[in-house]
Amino acid sequence: MIGLILSLFVGVGLLAILVLLARRGNPRVEGSAQQLVEARQTLDMVQLGLLPRDIVERIFATQDLEYVTRVAPAEVQRAFLRERKRIAIAWVERLRSSFVKLMRLHRAQARVYPQLSLRKEIGLGINFVALLATCGALQVAFRLRGPYAAPRMLETATAAAARVCMISEESLAFLKTEPLRPLEDRARGSEAV
Amino acid sequence: MDSSLRRADVQTAADDLRRRTLSQMPGALERLIYLASTRDYNNGLYYHDGLASRFSEIVACQALADCHREVFHELFECSLEDLVRQLDFYVESTRTAPGDLIAAWRNLEPYRVAVPAATDPLASDFLCSNIKIALAVWESRLDARLPRKPDAWLPR
Repeated sequence: MIGLILSLFVGVGLLAILVLLARRGNPRVEGSAQQLVEARQTLDMVQLGLLPRDIVERIFATQDLEYVTRVAPAEVQRAFLRERKRIAIAWVERLRSSFVKLMRLHRAQARVYPQLSLRKEIGLGINFVALLATCGALQVAFRLRGPYAAPRMLETATAAAARVCMISEESLAFLKTEPLRPLEDRARGSEAV
Repeated sequence: MDSSLRRADVQTAADDLRRRTLSQMPGALERLIYLASTRDYNNGLYYHDGLASRFSEIVACQALADCHREVFHELFECSLEDLVRQLDFYVESTRTAPGDLIAAWRNLEPYRVAVPAATDPLASDFLCSNIKIALAVWESRLDARLPRKPDAWLPR
């Protein structure tokens, strides 16, 4: 009887573990294709949507501030500063969260792919930390003193972000495959050999 | 081969659209609102009968989408001062009473749906925010231009 109860307990326990494992959903496999696609998308989004010079210059254009100060009443000036502050904070928050995501993906890649150069990864790590600290400082500056508070820090952040993107791109370059050559070319190539 | 041909067709159609239709609209804001109005909000596809009859529906759709993105980018790059000027052009072209337009735009914010698909959310948010401010600047300038009520001039 005791044996039966014990085996019942063991059975229920095993069943509970199985249910728990099943409820964890789709566990993400480190170094999976999905992670690589995400890394690529994040990198593209940062390079094309957040960092281009024209976009940064437009968001933080002092020319607009000068214009509003010159022609608009005080309430419109306040509304303008409020709006630009909101956009500036959104920009820096997106930059920060993209790099946090990229950093996580890099960490996962570094564990899986021995081809990644250790020196490059350490350099990338240092740059990531410096960039995240600058983004944090920028966020505080924007919140406290508005969007035009720290133009030099902004320059530092965009330069650091561009550098991290470049290293990150180089670091993941081995994952790129060469485009397929047309069949004719390949046939010609084999003849030459 | 086929895709490059189609790309060339799309470019020709876009040029045709720029030359015949968009060139009649002096302001980018007007062009943006016009191009957005050719899009069916149920499926996101663009329709233009004239262009479709000269090319094909799919080529016309792609050409309209390309021009829409181009105009959005043009407006994104505009300074606030330029944007206020664009609003001037736009109000003039629609012949709407300025007060009505301000009230409608403030309540309905129609420019929010005039953004091309797959636009970066930050870029779209930035442009909408700029239009909102440009509207406020434009309104304040309009108030300044309107003649004051006779009472306002009476000496106390």
